Amino acid sequence: MTVLVRPEGPRNPPAAGGAGARRPLVTARTREAAAGWLMSAPVIVLLLVFLVAPIAMAAWVSVSDWNGIGSPFASGVHAVGGQNYQALLTQPGLPQQQLGESLRNTMYYVIIVVPVQTALALGLALIVSRKRLTGRGFFRTAYYFPSITSSVAVSILFLYLFGTAGVVNAIVGHLGGQGPNWFDDPNGVLHIILSGLGVTTAPGPLASHGFLGVSWWDWLAGPSVAMVAIIALAIWTTSGTFMLIFLPAIYAIPADLTEAAIMDGANAWQRFRRVTLPMLRPALFLVLTLGLFATWQVFDQIYLMSQGNPAGTTLTPAFLSYVTSFQDQQWGQGAAIAFILFALIVVLTIAQRLIVSDRRAGGAS
Amino acid sequence: MRPSAQKRRRLAGRTLLYLALVLFAVIYIYPFLLDIGTAFKTETDAAAHPLSPLPQHWVLTAFSELAQQDFARWLANSVVVAVFVTLGRILFDSMAGYALARLRFRGRSGLFAAIIAVMAVPGVVLLIPTFLVLKQLNLFNTYPGMILPLMTDAAGVFIMRQFFLTVPPAIEEAARIDGAGIFRTYWSVVLPMARPALITLMILSFQGSWNNFSMILVAHSSPSLDTLTTGVGRLVSGQLGAGSQYPLQLAAALAMTIPVAVVFFVFQKYIMRTGEGAVKE
Amino acid sequence: MRSKIAIAALAAAGLAVLSTACSSGNGFGSSSASSTPAATANKSTLTLMFGSSGTAETAAVQQAAKAFTKQSGIPVQVIPASNLTQQVAQGFSGGTPPNVFYLDPLTFQNYAKDGVLDAYPSSLSNAGGFASALTQAFTYKSTFTCEPKDASTLALYVNAADWQQAGLGAPPANWSQLEADAKKLTTGSRTGLTIDQTHSGIDEFFYQNGGTVTNAAGTTVELDSAQNVAALTYLKGMLTQGIMKFPSQLGAGFSGQAFGENKAAMDIIGNWENGELQADYPGVKCKVYPLPAGPGGTQATLSFTNCWGVPKQQSNLAGAVEFVKFLTTSQQEMTFAKAFGVIPSLTTAQAQYEQTYPQYATFVQELSYAHPDIAIAGSTQALSAFDSALQQLASGNPASILKTAQQNLQAVVNQGA
Repeated sequence: MTVLVRPEGPRNPPAAGGAGARRPLVTARTREAAAGWLMSAPVIVLLLVFLVAPIAMAAWVSVSDWNGIGSPFASGVHAVGGQNYQALLTQPGLPQQQLGESLRNTMYYVIIVVPVQTALALGLALIVSRKRLTGRGFFRTAYYFPSITSSVAVSILFLYLFGTAGVVNAIVGHLGGQGPNWFDDPNGVLHIILSGLGVTTAPGPLASHGFLGVSWWDWLAGPSVAMVAIIALAIWTTSGTFMLIFLPAIYAIPADLTEAAIMDGANAWQRFRRVTLPMLRPALFLVLTLGLFATWQVFDQIYLMSQGNPAGTTLTPAFLSYVTSFQDQQWGQGAAIAFILFALIVVLTIAQRLIVSDRRAGGAS
Repeated sequence: MRPSAQKRRRLAGRTLLYLALVLFAVIYIYPFLLDIGTAFKTETDAAAHPLSPLPQHWVLTAFSELAQQDFARWLANSVVVAVFVTLGRILFDSMAGYALARLRFRGRSGLFAAIIAVMAVPGVVLLIPTFLVLKQLNLFNTYPGMILPLMTDAAGVFIMRQFFLTVPPAIEEAARIDGAGIFRTYWSVVLPMARPALITLMILSFQGSWNNFSMILVAHSSPSLDTLTTGVGRLVSGQLGAGSQYPLQLAAALAMTIPVAVVFFVFQKYIMRTGEGAVKE
Repeated sequence: MRSKIAIAALAAAGLAVLSTACSSGNGFGSSSASSTPAATANKSTLTLMFGSSGTAETAAVQQAAKAFTKQSGIPVQVIPASNLTQQVAQGFSGGTPPNVFYLDPLTFQNYAKDGVLDAYPSSLSNAGGFASALTQAFTYKSTFTCEPKDASTLALYVNAADWQQAGLGAPPANWSQLEADAKKLTTGSRTGLTIDQTHSGIDEFFYQNGGTVTNAAGTTVELDSAQNVAALTYLKGMLTQGIMKFPSQLGAGFSGQAFGENKAAMDIIGNWENGELQADYPGVKCKVYPLPAGPGGTQATLSFTNCWGVPKQQSNLAGAVEFVKFLTTSQQEMTFAKAFGVIPSLTTAQAQYEQTYPQYATFVQELSYAHPDIAIAGSTQALSAFDSALQQLASGNPASILKTAQQNLQAVVNQGA
């Protein structure tokens, strides 16, 4: 931090071009301000051009009837108000149904991926941070390695693993069962469980009423078998990254705290619940936030592996937005879907922060 | 508890621990072994023996088929994009991070708040918008069009600012006393100290741009601009992906992962160290 | 104050960037202007983008491009697309569409409506030489806008070895015989019949049973009819019996692959399969028969065609038109027919085709009772939802599948009207 008032003296050089003691102060400050803005300039320009401007343009397109040819600001493009949003949210029809399906699919994806990857990451971090572990570096690298590969490479891997005659089905076969046609099976996991319990058709009211074009019975379908393969991919890929977030938090737990707990006679599970977990709360919070944030945006894997199939059970809002614009040339609707997703993520993130900080304020920490 | 019983408990616990470690290691590594092995298999071998990472006969058909694709071009494009994005991010993010951490100017806190807010924008929401802007700026289907959006990075600024806040002000003061200007102080004195943070930023930028798929996808449509991700992506999705050519696809996956794996293993200690804090191994 | 100046300078720089961007090319408030295309072809490279049916077609197209370059001196870049419609659309949106591309009847409706296609047939002398059904598919508001490149119809491919092994003689003439034959041909390792699990592989059954997709004028969608439900029920029956399987159930990307790998003994697919078999599955001996008639004796099949799309705004319009002229000669069309089995679109070439390939006469004969595939402008999403539902036919309800598809497609028709 620069010292603001520098007394004139033998140590300090005389101020350049100034007569009194005040002048050098002003010059230094303004030079600093100019430098500050100049050094921030490239980042500011990039953010303005590639973040602010695009969102503004997309906002315009979402309330216009632009068809994709020529510029969206050309004279032939008209504003249509909330028409695109209406078609997606309130008007019954295919666009609303597909948005509803994409939200349902992603909801199950998030509900399963975030807790499982958090728990797995924590578990892996705990076992990898044990004292006197041989091969610690090797195991840590092994668990983290999938995270550095690209979504394309991992999608190819999992298409192979979950193919009809692939690795997973071979293992299931060795265990005596028969694996499903993973990427072809649109049946929701919950529906499968329910039909195993004898409930094979939708109960009346659940089938005839719905939300966003999807009947309540279909909302309760659970992730489809195809989506389960993609869920497995997500957990496998990202648990390593979150493990790395938990590790320093675990190492930061003071050793005397743990020792005190052992002295008090606490067993491993009690130590975990009373000592480890509370100390990990910030890291846990970070992992949950990042997890929520990332899972709602799933796109690459859907594009590469399933394109929303089978029967729209792997559609996600991000992919739907892309396909609606780039494939069907319905740019207004595609942009509208992107903004609906944006709003959803913002709301969920704020809600999550409120819930967790509420608990923090209420409970002991 | 009697010592032998306690010892037995501990041994059982240790065995379970290592079992768990090894089991998970297998789950995380085996698919890559299969990838390597299947890349050298024939298609029938791959279909008949999915579980084995060892080919019955080692063949190079998948790789020769891959060579017939535009693999060299994809590789070159990936390198161009990754290098420029990484250089740009290192340069711009460290400058902005330093300005936000050390230079006082009006509007600094507002700018920082804006940077944080920007980090909250989900990347996927920007797919269509980026396309629109690139089209408007006539940057669609150009190299700058693929590079500049990826160079836009708020998280990197945040990381560099965090680091610069930890640099003792005394060092800068000493430089100022010696007559160095602001930029000279930054460039010659502070920046060299930032090596660990810069390396972290470099690894994240390289990985992020090398592996990026969706942003590159919307930035071009001409196959001559395909990077490894979009080029190999064509092999998988769409018409060209119809049919089960697993060895070819897995060979492509293998080839595109090798550079990132090399960078990872070379700089591993930096990645792992940032996760561990000060704990010595 | 200097900081204020700095801020002002920054803002000015930012504005400058954005405004230069605006003034170059597709600026604010101006429609994309471009200079009028040169009267004579320039030598800039043409791009030809197409969706390939297999290695045979890709090779044939590349050879044709090379031949044209040799003759005219204009270089051609051939681009097999992994998602043709999407990539062409991206090209249009980005202002750089391919100079020539395969255009199917449905996408044709979309682009013709947007007014982005060049109606070049009027400048070519061969515009009158095409089969009328094909010309109709590519006429928009009485303007013949795009020259068809070929035609294909669906027929029944039969694996000759499997057929003999099962002791079968004459091909199935109606639905019950088809079912019986499929049953006889189904063994543990292969299924009797496979068809493509989309509307383009299934709709012919509707017509065979006396149903239809739309009315003659194309204003009402008539998918939800008793005849169509019966047709889907028939197919569902074969799926449940296991004597018919969709390609995805056989681990294949499309029915031709399943047939070539002998995972299915019979396949209903179009003549483009000839090239596929020639190139990738030369060992398969097959016979081609007309599709069996419906219970009422009606014969029907689906016809497919593509045309050479040429965008109005592009880098080398005259060169592109010259390229299309080269591609629509009898000689070139016969070369394509020989390479990957499509029927030529020129009537003169069609006659030649029948003479040269008597074994494929079936396809040409079927043209007389072929119905064009659905081509309603803006129906891509509705059709892909229909296809998704058809894919689940084995566990689905035919009546509700058709009812939903009817609703969705009718909504599209009403929107476009």
